[in-house]
Amino acid sequence: MSEALAIAAPTARKREPGRLWIVPPAALLALLFFYPLALIIRQAFLDDSGVANVAEIIRVLHSRFFVNALINTVTISVTATAGCLIVGLVLALILAFVPFPGSGFIARLIDTFIALPTFLVTLAFTFLYGSAGMLNSGLMEAFSLPLPPVDFLYSTWGVVLAEVTVYTPFILRPLLAAFSLVDRGQIEAASVLGARPFRIVRQIILPAAIPALIAGGSLCLLLTVNEFGIVLFIGAKGVITLPLLIYGKAIQESAYQVACIIAVVNIALSLGLFGLYRFAAGRLGV
Amino acid sequence: MSAVAFTGPSVMDIDAAKIRGAGSNVHFDKVSVAYGAHVVLHPLTLDIAPGEILAMIGPSGSGKTTALRAVAGFVRPASGRIRIGATDVTDLPPYERGLGMVVQNYALFPHMRVEDNVAFGLRAQGANKALISERVKDALATVGMATFARRYPRELSGGQQQRVAIARALAVRPRVLLLDEPLSALDAQIRRNMVEEIARLHRSLPGLTILYVTHDQTEALTLADKIAIMRDGRVCSHGPTTELYRRPPNRFTAEFLGRANLLPVTVAEAAGPKGFATARHGDAVLTGAGRDEKAGDKSLLCIRPQHLSLTADSEHTNRIVGTLSEVHWQGELTHLVLDVDGTPVRVSATKLPVALPEPGAKVPLFFAPADTSLLPEDASV
Amino acid sequence: MLVWSRSGRLVIWVIFALIFGVLFLAPLAVILLSSLADQWNGVLPNGLTTEHYADVAKGAAWNAVKASLVTGFAASALALVSGTWAALSLRLQGPALKRLLGLLFFIPSAVPSVSVGLGLLVAFSHPPLLLNGTIAIVMIAHFVLISAFTFGNVSAGLARLSPDFEQVASSLGARPAYRLRHVTLPLLAPYLVAAFGLSFALSMGELGATVMVYPPGWVTLPVSIFSLTDRGDIFAGAALTMILVAATLVLLLGLERITKRATGS
Repeated sequence: MSEALAIAAPTARKREPGRLWIVPPAALLALLFFYPLALIIRQAFLDDSGVANVAEIIRVLHSRFFVNALINTVTISVTATAGCLIVGLVLALILAFVPFPGSGFIARLIDTFIALPTFLVTLAFTFLYGSAGMLNSGLMEAFSLPLPPVDFLYSTWGVVLAEVTVYTPFILRPLLAAFSLVDRGQIEAASVLGARPFRIVRQIILPAAIPALIAGGSLCLLLTVNEFGIVLFIGAKGVITLPLLIYGKAIQESAYQVACIIAVVNIALSLGLFGLYRFAAGRLGV
Repeated sequence: MSAVAFTGPSVMDIDAAKIRGAGSNVHFDKVSVAYGAHVVLHPLTLDIAPGEILAMIGPSGSGKTTALRAVAGFVRPASGRIRIGATDVTDLPPYERGLGMVVQNYALFPHMRVEDNVAFGLRAQGANKALISERVKDALATVGMATFARRYPRELSGGQQQRVAIARALAVRPRVLLLDEPLSALDAQIRRNMVEEIARLHRSLPGLTILYVTHDQTEALTLADKIAIMRDGRVCSHGPTTELYRRPPNRFTAEFLGRANLLPVTVAEAAGPKGFATARHGDAVLTGAGRDEKAGDKSLLCIRPQHLSLTADSEHTNRIVGTLSEVHWQGELTHLVLDVDGTPVRVSATKLPVALPEPGAKVPLFFAPADTSLLPEDASV
Repeated sequence: MLVWSRSGRLVIWVIFALIFGVLFLAPLAVILLSSLADQWNGVLPNGLTTEHYADVAKGAAWNAVKASLVTGFAASALALVSGTWAALSLRLQGPALKRLLGLLFFIPSAVPSVSVGLGLLVAFSHPPLLLNGTIAIVMIAHFVLISAFTFGNVSAGLARLSPDFEQVASSLGARPAYRLRHVTLPLLAPYLVAAFGLSFALSMGELGATVMVYPPGWVTLPVSIFSLTDRGDIFAGAALTMILVAATLVLLLGLERITKRATGS
């Protein structure tokens, strides 16, 4: 298809002065983002006198607070992503294939959650599931209980539930796009041939959804690893993640080098997940 | 960009009479295009005369669009020069070449009204308001779209959009009009009308040089003064339309342009002073327009489906016999397929014998030497 | 379509309503309700009042709204210019450099916001680049975090733009600057507006980098909401959150209207 190639190929010129146009935005990003990033790495590995500080790095990496934060971060991220995938898939299936009057509006409403601050949900959960929240007050009144019976909010589960709410739209969006491409005729033909809904979902719809699930899932992993607001607002003592630890060390303890060491680990983890997302998205054409 | 380098026609200094009188010629001088090691256009040398419509046709991937885009300046040749008129445009950016271009999907600017679309080129070149409004009116009138000036492109049908696209290209008074598959996005009925429209347009602007790229042989045959047939990045034949149709120089041309029947023959007697040679196909001795074949050469006898007849006639002195395999009645025409010693031969007949033979029957076919030509049996071209 | 029986569909819709209600509707409704709640000791508030809004209006709320709007506008405008510039000039590069730079422009979206803030603190706390303690460092933090989204949006718009438009414009005699001004940018306008809106919304809700770098006197809405709730003043926090949500939605809807009117669709 040489003609298709010719159309896709940019106008090739030998001396293209236009190439230099990239310099201003690239320089801006380099100064404001990559230079600070490099300084984080420098400060993580070298102490103030410019000498490599291996002992400090090892001490931080073996410390209880770091290991706990790492485990928390990964656990929360994986659990929340799994939750987002399940909830997103169920909602998308219903919105796309069992639509009801107003389902388009509901889909858009869920979509606007992407634009809302993440901590909003945590704050709302305090009113809903907090020890003096609606659920506990209701249960205490109804069953005359002396103590609030529901107590998951100030644990990893509270964080996970909040993140599922906040990040499900990131799964829903690509899924709905993928479902809109599924041939309705196929589903009708399968129904006419006597296939039950579950069979149709498994054999026709899910295969079409897998690229969107993988790309959306890896994006969710990335965003949940980086999430800060939700964890900060829940403010539970036992639930410290890497971003929260960096904030604590830098701002509350002014331990910049420790913060930088943890930041390097956090950034490496995030960039790894980013690579996974780009690979998945690029490979699957989402 | 210095002022001296600007060689494209400015809208100010070329008046209508001049461009209508004589357009520019386009000259490809050993132009080749490659992407890395992949050659999409082998060195091409070709001339389009002022006021000529040259149709480049060929299957997709044959390099025809690449050749047009090289003229437009969107593809840089790996070697060779392109001249428009007296100007070597090879190193000029597209906006200094003084061209008009129409593409398959019209590419009308959706945020501009029809009149602003048509005025675009003149405004971009800094023409004055009076000239712009006159030219826009003129161009829209030429394509019969004057009453749609205030519409937006999305309010027009496909055919109307393509007219506007043509008006937009004409308004700049281009030295050369490039048409890149201009009708492919239209449905069959509108396409036929538009072919006639373009033919009419060219009659009213006889000086306009047009390079018309298409994969549709009907468009090429209807419109073009000359045709260049492209295949695998090379011109496989180039010549005046009727000549190329009547005397195709090679097998690919014969088959691509009008699906000719090609009967393998052995030359019995080289062409005489009248240009007719005789050749044998099995027992049949056939006469046809020859070139430089010598007695004993393997050759192909080219006969168009519409020139074969089931009934004898004083002119139809050639006769072959085939086995009827298929009959397709299509109203005004009946298509027959016969097997002549293993070669499928198609016949388009308007007149049929009263008793139509059944498939499987032996049927004689008659045709005139004047409608027949010999061409070299060379599988490579 | 998938489920044909009426009862089957009803069951599925009930499931949907439950998930949607618990996860999405309840939080929004509760925030709204709590921002208006007088006293809240039982399942429902004891009474409704606009007192919290009055309180935050008397307090630092307007400064926070102003700080958020100014920061959001400045950071989004800069991100829009730089992202559009980057996406447009990236097209002029060779394929290898294009891939590499395209990836680099996306990376800020992958780095945790707290680390972006930390990096700015480390980099700009000493002369000659002493920005720590200024408003500029907040805007820079927001710019860095949203730059990838504007770049991505504009790039996506450019990728969808048929090359025919620009090529036809060139062949008609439009020089690159004229073509950019009259063809490319107008055709990209919907993507530019969408990019600006998304950037603004993200900036309005940004917390991680802001808490690292904000100077006293430039407290954005999320930071003030956090300090209110941290002090236990959750009703005022809810009121301020509603103000944030309202400001964001008004902005997004306004931009959407502008796009619709401009493109006439």
